[in-house]
Formats: sequence, structure tokens, C-alpha cells
Amino acid sequence: MKALDDVSFSIEQGEVILIVGSSGSGKSTLLNMIGLLDSPTNGDIFIDEINTTALNDNQISSFRNKKLGFIFQFSNLLSDLSVLENILLPIQIAGTNSTTEKDAIDLLKSVGLEDQMHKRANKISGGQAQRVAIARGLINKPSIVLADEPTGNLDSVTSEIIVDLMKSMAKKLNQTFIIVTHDRKHFGNVDKVITIKDGKAFQGEEPSTMEITV
Amino acid sequence: MKLAKRMLFNKRGSLYGAILAVTIGILVIHVNFVIFQGLYDAIVRDITEYRNGDVRVTDEDDYIDKSDSSIISWFERISYVEAAAPRLSSTAEMEITKNGKLIEKTRIPVVGVDPFKDIRASTVHETVTEGTYVFSRNSIVLGNTVANDLGGAVVGDNVKVMIIDRWGEEQTKRFTVSGIAKSPGGQGFDYSAVMHIDTLRDMTDRTDQTGSIMVKLNDPSKAFEVKEFFLLSFPNGDFLAETIEESAEQQLAGFRSGIAMINMIGYFGMMSSAFAVVTIQMMLVNGKTREIGVMRAIGAKRKDILIIFIFQGMLIGAIGAGVGTATGLGYTFYAKETKMSFNNSLPLEVTYNLEKIIQTALASFILAIIASLYPSYRATKLLPVEAMRSG
Repeated sequence: MKALDDVSFSIEQGEVILIVGSSGSGKSTLLNMIGLLDSPTNGDIFIDEINTTALNDNQISSFRNKKLGFIFQFSNLLSDLSVLENILLPIQIAGTNSTTEKDAIDLLKSVGLEDQMHKRANKISGGQAQRVAIARGLINKPSIVLADEPTGNLDSVTSEIIVDLMKSMAKKLNQTFIIVTHDRKHFGNVDKVITIKDGKAFQGEEPSTMEITV
Repeated sequence: MKLAKRMLFNKRGSLYGAILAVTIGILVIHVNFVIFQGLYDAIVRDITEYRNGDVRVTDEDDYIDKSDSSIISWFERISYVEAAAPRLSSTAEMEITKNGKLIEKTRIPVVGVDPFKDIRASTVHETVTEGTYVFSRNSIVLGNTVANDLGGAVVGDNVKVMIIDRWGEEQTKRFTVSGIAKSPGGQGFDYSAVMHIDTLRDMTDRTDQTGSIMVKLNDPSKAFEVKEFFLLSFPNGDFLAETIEESAEQQLAGFRSGIAMINMIGYFGMMSSAFAVVTIQMMLVNGKTREIGVMRAIGAKRKDILIIFIFQGMLIGAIGAGVGTATGLGYTFYAKETKMSFNNSLPLEVTYNLEKIIQTALASFILAIIASLYPSYRATKLLPVEAMRSG
């Protein structure tokens, strides 16, 4: 059985894309493939006109670091590091000086957590941790930010805050977000909705709308 | 590196466990060294000080015919030589009578010494725990064991000594016990009797002969040079000159093998501590699976993960080597200051062997890194999605 079959769609810079679908429909698999955390058994994934399936492990790591930002369901901050250090981690992995600590603090201000920057990551609330994860996902100015069920572990009030934050950051930074969720209602209006059903992708809320090919 | 440090230091239990493992590995080596090398060196020290000197001169024909005074004078002109003294050995039968009644009779080795020269070249006189050293030609010092064998001979007792001279004739003489000698560990003359060398010469009819000359140096490291110089200066004599390592070779050879084996056991102990580090590092990797997955997801290469855990191994090795060496040196210091001995045996000759200390610390540091290789490699093999899920 194929988790994803003949999935093809394009995304424009600065768009917020929602990938929806029922549990087990293959939406997380799709996100993992776009994020180069998983590879397709057949076919290619092009990001920024680069065929990512042809990259070796080191190149994939560099690509993930420079071109992609990740927001996970459980925020996945490193508990050994402070909030600020978590945000700086992708820069340190990249080993570049193009982004400074000041940029990280500015991002923290954007997500409203500048007063928490020296706290250990495991000492902040779930909602705060997810905001830190958003800042971490944005620090390297990636081409795409991939969010896998970013509100899946949050209550509805906090979920609204996180969704609003992602949308405002997308607008402010002209940043592309691809968000996977099974809970459509928190997200309101977005630029595009892709529905995954039985491993196939359809643009729009219903499978009957339109199939996207590029 | 900061992350590696934090990851390690936040797992205090594992960190302490790993450091303890390395520390114990090093401590075993240090304790082994202090005890067994200390024992070996103590035996060498006592043989040097009581019997052979730093250089020992004998003759191929068993006895030196040349005047002992002239040889001793020759030696004492060398700046490295502190003193030299003649020795003559034989075997005697000894009996003690009290109130005309024979108490005990025993057969023992006897050593003839020149009391005035001997107290400069040897420390045997310091082993006389009761009475005094040989002070006249008819005084005798009994070893503690001999005194016991003679039914508890004490200072002032009269003993009869029978010696077979060079012609096979029995020579008898009475002596007054001037002292009882007892050395820690029994390396001195505890099983012998010590008398004036001239008395022994008379009794054995070896008036102008000497068994050996022990030479004490103020710098024992010059023993080989002094020996070579002596042999070069007396090319026509039948002299044999040996450094302490050569003259005590028979007594020390077996011991050296024992030390080598003990060292091997010590290094096996260190290997065991390396296995403990492997286990603890594996626990650290397993405990950080989710973090490894996250780091890989946000762009860390396999090499980066490898470096984190190898760096942790280096930290464990460095801290463990530091703590282990400090603990080992502490033990060495304690053993040296307290003149450590076991069951009132000879006090260990404790030395600080810088080369050995560095070698041990370095070996444990390298072993800790090697022990980290496999866990680090395992960490690099984790797939991001799987790691985040399982963590």
C-alpha cells in the first residue's frame, strides 16, 4: 500500500499552506518528505529547483539547516539549553555568522518571550515552548517552515495564539509556512489548503475540488 | 561543545558514574604501583643498605686477597663514593649455656664486619634494637630470630661459636652478646650473627682475606660508572664488580615478573573501566535519542553528532584522569608519609614516578575516548523521525 501516490503541487513564497486530512491519510509522511526527513520510494522532490532526492546525507543535513525550518507537535526543544540557546542552535549547527544573537533576541521579542530567554527550555509552558519552536524554525531565514500538528498538543486558547503568531510571522517576514493539521477549525483563512485523502493530494477542502499538478 | 557539556553535566548520575569508573581504573594502577613497586624498591633498598651496597666487589676466587684498606681507600677517593666497607661471611654453630647448662644449639650464617667502616657504608647498625653494634673483637650481635632460636638470648649473654676454618679444623670462641638486631621485614641480619671481621678472619684463618666490599654512593645513579671505572683501574685482578641490580638479580628476577603480572591486572582493571564508560555512554545516547533526532532534523550532520559524544568521552576521560590521578597521588602521598608497611613488614619505598603517572593518566584518557566511539557511532545512525518518535 502506498502512503502517498503521485502527489504534486507548488507553493509560492510567503504563502501559508494547510495540509489537512484524516488521521493516517499520509499528511505527516508528506511533510516528512518535504522536510527531507523521509525519502520517497519513487519520484523526486524539488525545492527551490533543487532535486533533493539526489542529495547525499551531508547535503540533506545542510539543506534542512539552511532552507527548512521545523515546528513539531511537541515543540522538541532541547531541555539542556536555554530558550535563547535553543533558538541559536540551527545557527550554531550551520556554523555561520550571518545571523547573530541579536537576531535571535529580536525573534524572541516577536514571539513575546524576550523575558524568558535565559530560562531552561523545560521550565516554560507548552504554549511558550511552541512559540520558541516557531522562533527556532525561523532563525535561519528558511525557504519553507514546516509545522507538523503545531497545535496538536495545546488547548484551544493557546492554539489560537500559536496560529495567529504563525500567520503574522508569515506576513511580516514573507515566510512560507506548510502546516499539517487534522484540526482545520483553528486556522481560519489561509492561502491554500491541500487535502490528503488515501495518499492523494487535492487542492481545497474537499477531494472533489481540484487536483494540483506542476 | 557547549551542548555536549550541558548534555553530560545535566546527567549527573551518568557523569559521576563514568568519572568514577575512570578514577577507579587509575587508582588500581596507582595502588598496585605503590604496593608492589614500593615493595620491590624496598627490597632493593634493604639489600643495598644491609648487604650489597650500590656497588659490590667480590673476587672470582671467592675471597679478595688484596688489602681491603687499599681498595676502600681507592674507592673513597671517587667523589661519587660516600663510604666502603669489607665483609666476610661464613657459617657457624652456636650454643648458649646458662648456669653451666646447655640451653640451645643452632647453626647460622655469620657475617664479619669492620664496625667503624660498616656504620658509614651500611645501616645494619641501625637494626640493633637492643644493646649496641659490634664494638670489640669478642662481642657479637645476634639476629632477632637467632636469639629466639637460642632460647631467648639477651644482651650480655655468653655464646660459644664454632667455625670450621679454611683447613677443616674446628675453631671455637666465646662471645658476649652486645646487641640484638631486628629489621622491618627481616631483610637485615635477623637470621645471622654479626661479629668483628678480624675475629672471623682469625677463626677461619683468612687473615688477609675479604669476602666482599660494599660501596655506598652518594649518587646511586652513578653505580655503573663507578663499577666500570673500578674494573678499568684493576684490569689484572680477578675482581668482579656489580651494581645492585646485577648483584641482587637472583633475588629480584622473580619479583619483577610478579610486578609485570600485577601491572597487567591493573591494565585489565582499566579496560573494565573502559567497558563501564561504554555502558554509561550508551545510556547517555539512549537517554538523548529525541534530542539527537531534533538536532538531525534541524540540520546537524552525522559528524556533528559524532563530535558531541566523542567530546563527551574526552570530558569524561579528562575529568576521570584528573580525579583518578589526584586520588592516586593522594594515596601515594599517604603511603610515603606514613612509611606504609603491611603487618610490620618492611616499609614500602614509595616514589613518585612521573613517567608512570603521565602514562596512566594518558592511557585512561585515550581509553575513555575509544570507549566513546561505539556509542557515538550508534548515535549517528539514528534516523531523525524515528529518533524523535522513540525519544
